[in-house]
Amino acid sequence: MADLEKLITVAKETVSRDDVKYLIGWRQGTYGFRVSPHFITEPEEADKLIFSPLCSNNLATYLTLVEKLPVPRGQEADTRKIALMVKGCDSRAVVQQLVEQGIKRESVIILGCPCQGVVDLAKVEEKFPAGLEQVAARWDDGKIVFQFSDGEKAVPREEVLADKCLRCRYPNPVLADTLLWEEVEAGSSSDEYADVSELEAKTPEERWSFWEAQFSSCVRCYSCRNVCPMCYCEDCILDRLNPTWVNRSNNISENTAFHLSRAFHLAGRCIECGECERVCPVNIPIMTLNRKLTKEVREKFAYEPGTDPASKPLQASYRPNDQENFIL
Amino acid sequence: MSEQFEPNVVAFLCNWCSYAGADLAGTSRIQYPPNLNVIRVMCTGRINPLFVINAFQQGADGVLVSGCHPGDCHYMEGNYFARRRFTMMKELLDYVGVDNKRFHMSWVSASEGAKWKDVVKSTVDEAKEVGPFAQFQRNKINW
Amino acid sequence: MNNKPKIGVYVCHCGMNIAKTVDVEAVAEFASHLPYVKVARNYSYMCSDPGQLLIKEDIKNEGLTRVVVASCSPRMHELTFRKTVAAAGLNPYYLEMANIREQCSWVHENREEATAKAKKLVYAAVAKVRLLEPLQEKEVEVEPSALIVGGGIAGIQAALDIAAAGFKVYMVEKTPSVGGKMSQLDKTFPTLDCSACILTPKMVDVASHPNIDLMTYSQVEDISGYVGNFDVKVRKKARYVDMNKCTGCGACAEACRLTGRIPSEFNEGLGKRAAIYLPFPQAVPAKYTIDPERCLMLTRGKCGKGPKCMEACAAGAINFEQQDEVVEFKVGTVIIATGYELFDASKKPEYGYSDYPNVITGLELERLVAASGPTGGNIVIGEGENATVPKEVAFISCVGSRDASVGNEYCSRVCCMYSAKLAHLVTEKLPDSNVRIYYMDVRAFGKGYEEFYDRVRREGVRYIRGNPSEIFKRGDKLVVKAEDTLMGKPLEDEVDMVVLATGLEPRKDAREIIDILKLSQSADGFYLEAHPKLAPVDTATDGVYLAGCAQGPKDIPDTVAQAKGAASSALILLSSGKVKVQAQISNINEATCRGCGYCVEICPYGAIDLVEVNRMGNMVQVARVNEALCKGCGACAAGCFSGSAQQRSFKDQQILPQIAVLGAMK
Repeated sequence: MADLEKLITVAKETVSRDDVKYLIGWRQGTYGFRVSPHFITEPEEADKLIFSPLCSNNLATYLTLVEKLPVPRGQEADTRKIALMVKGCDSRAVVQQLVEQGIKRESVIILGCPCQGVVDLAKVEEKFPAGLEQVAARWDDGKIVFQFSDGEKAVPREEVLADKCLRCRYPNPVLADTLLWEEVEAGSSSDEYADVSELEAKTPEERWSFWEAQFSSCVRCYSCRNVCPMCYCEDCILDRLNPTWVNRSNNISENTAFHLSRAFHLAGRCIECGECERVCPVNIPIMTLNRKLTKEVREKFAYEPGTDPASKPLQASYRPNDQENFIL
Repeated sequence: MSEQFEPNVVAFLCNWCSYAGADLAGTSRIQYPPNLNVIRVMCTGRINPLFVINAFQQGADGVLVSGCHPGDCHYMEGNYFARRRFTMMKELLDYVGVDNKRFHMSWVSASEGAKWKDVVKSTVDEAKEVGPFAQFQRNKINW
Repeated sequence: MNNKPKIGVYVCHCGMNIAKTVDVEAVAEFASHLPYVKVARNYSYMCSDPGQLLIKEDIKNEGLTRVVVASCSPRMHELTFRKTVAAAGLNPYYLEMANIREQCSWVHENREEATAKAKKLVYAAVAKVRLLEPLQEKEVEVEPSALIVGGGIAGIQAALDIAAAGFKVYMVEKTPSVGGKMSQLDKTFPTLDCSACILTPKMVDVASHPNIDLMTYSQVEDISGYVGNFDVKVRKKARYVDMNKCTGCGACAEACRLTGRIPSEFNEGLGKRAAIYLPFPQAVPAKYTIDPERCLMLTRGKCGKGPKCMEACAAGAINFEQQDEVVEFKVGTVIIATGYELFDASKKPEYGYSDYPNVITGLELERLVAASGPTGGNIVIGEGENATVPKEVAFISCVGSRDASVGNEYCSRVCCMYSAKLAHLVTEKLPDSNVRIYYMDVRAFGKGYEEFYDRVRREGVRYIRGNPSEIFKRGDKLVVKAEDTLMGKPLEDEVDMVVLATGLEPRKDAREIIDILKLSQSADGFYLEAHPKLAPVDTATDGVYLAGCAQGPKDIPDTVAQAKGAASSALILLSSGKVKVQAQISNINEATCRGCGYCVEICPYGAIDLVEVNRMGNMVQVARVNEALCKGCGACAAGCFSGSAQQRSFKDQQILPQIAVLGAMK
């Protein structure tokens, strides 16, 4: 069970350390069900930390996203550790970043938050039309309890949890320096990729018309890419002009190329935190695309990214007997 | 359609096996359809899977990637990496509804001129079967 | 690319080879209208002198900066035209070819279609050529010395050849003496030369040659660098004997408290040695070594009232304080001649090798037959007074070869012949004996081998086709249970001695070298050559060559031949003194590289390393290509998500225009 007191105590201890630069956690947002990332450098700031069913954000993104500013002459780069609060899915992002050498193990302190699932804001807002009032939430025995100013409302978790949480197989961090509270029982969650299979069962024409509609609505805001903890290139090839992989015009050709390229670059790397889909302003089911490849990668190469820091990246390894029945 | 549709296939070949195999088909005067054009790279390992997406965008009706048989790579391992990459690319294309008949991968060795003909023929025939690619090609040439 | 490129396009008729099906004039006319094309010509034979002259003159007179030749396959004439372009003062890599012969005129009959395709191929080449960049063919100096790992006959031969050519050779041998497996043999097939007589002079030569630095009882710890410039680290293990003082008199071994109590490796355990020993009388160097795993001083810290060897050594050579010594040196080339191991016959329990003393291996019999062996050349079973002379002797071939059940599907190539040789030696030494050989097939493929096989049969050795299923004991006798597959009848054969013709296996420590040099293994576990036919002594690592059984089972003539081949390959490098580095290699843009290390994992040549660089005050990790190691496959480029790794002449920005033309032009 999430223990806020423990969280705050550990956070205070951690940021007080000389070798820690800052700690990244969650705090309440400014309105509705929103939650913000919370970067703290001073112990007193830790009091604002929360951990609740609203803490969807995968904070691992910030490990690679944070810009390395030029260091003024005569100064030394600040190489102190960064402390990070992670849910199960977030921890997989950290592990995969370790595999891909985006971070060094000794430069990060992982505070593990076993998690009972976070809500899908769309589902919540359907039940409780969004207002400006800031709402908190907590887990309570199979229910999610929302704390409005006029009282609490409990909803069965199945009704509001994000899809990724309903099929979550990694509720507990796969890697952590400190586990903040007891592990959550993994339960009987299984993932049969029903969403993917459903699409697979359709004809190519039906699949294309589905995706055509989705990709057509893309506004190419690149939020999906920017929020992704695995999209860490400083200079994305899809932004580049020389060579131009994808034109900037917004049309079905470029949009499709963008989405396929993005999905392919995540093959064997997507850790299914679902952030891309969460932040998409036009609700493209990006995870339904990503999950096709996670499914294939699991089935064909028995590989699951973000689970073993000692593994080699899927796309940088091979087995001589990898299957090849599609090859002429 | 009064005139029969002639597909346009872009092929990426490794220099040492498949390109040499295609050359052998030439020296052996083995005839095959002219609808397929080859881009030569040194190794299938060089073929960026995004080239395939790009080829479709640029107007290809079909795409072929061909290299050395497993174990025969001139650079030892390039075709193994390519196999993994294109396994996933093939699945991805199929999943979004690009017909499976539009993208193929083959192993053609330097001695398989006849196999090269078969591969070209089947690739072109299948592209012909599914018709012009009209899903996400660009409107104009871009280079 | 400040100046706009000026492209010249040359369409070849190749006599009628192209012109017959492709309208070359139309193709040239089409090309003349393409962007940046200054001149477009067609000519009967572009590769001829006048054809090449055409290009050269245009480069000079028209100021061309790029050239497209539409003719045969680049695999045919790319080099020719690169030279042409270079001769006119242009960078040779400013050339692109359009293959309109092998992949157009020869494979299509319809003139209209073939012409259209040729236009397309030319357009694609024009699209690419304007973006090509000038490349330099770099050369690196070659350190004029060679390292030879392994001091068997392969290593010895290679060392002598390279040393004879005047280059420095470092030879590293793991055991205390050079000579390898060949030194254990009595006679060699099919000529029955005495093995020691032909080998020992070479062993002595290796030790005395001024160009050879022989390091026995030593091990290669690390090799880094690249062709022409390898840095080698060798550990010389402590012998506890001062090599400079030891005279090889042997007084120490006689004095040793453990004399006659330690199985001799050289005699395959049939003879005994002391804790301080010379592996065999003709060992080179003839210096004693203390076995650190047996010596009482070294294992227990005391040896009676004092080590007897020390007392006995008049030269005062024994030094229990001696330490391992690590030496470092540079070489330009490396030859791996680490040899093989024999199949462990106990892995075939049905043959009872572990159970019955009179089931022995071929090499053990070799030691029994040898005059220098533990029995002085007498073939006997058992020791001392109990020793008996066998009368009925059976050989079993293919033990651990051609046998998928033990994981060795290959033929070991020597067992048929060494069985025949040993059978001959047995019949010669024991005229009353009856010798038979159980075999699957007899492979007598070498020069004089079939004749030798015939001779052995004429001498009365029986060949029985059938692989025995079991060997068991009945009274004093061993029973070989088999089926004579030619007669189609099962048989039980009572014999006094069984000789197992054990096959050859990769060394158990083969991985050490693989890890050090990034070599590959073939399916059988031996080191993989660069090409099974055309580059049998080369490896995928430039400057590293294979000799002898390290590459696969072979007999002495083949081993020596391959050793000479490896030496010759090494000498090409050493004598030219320079080695050309590929030009169309990869390069990593460190400004955009994120240091994920994918390319490092992918590179088959270990040519990419992650290095720390200072990026405006922050230390960041980026990948960097070692240009001398890169072979230009481009696998890193396709594996790089940020497009930072690119292969020169095959960059994304050079290939994408080709795709654009071939895709868009219908």
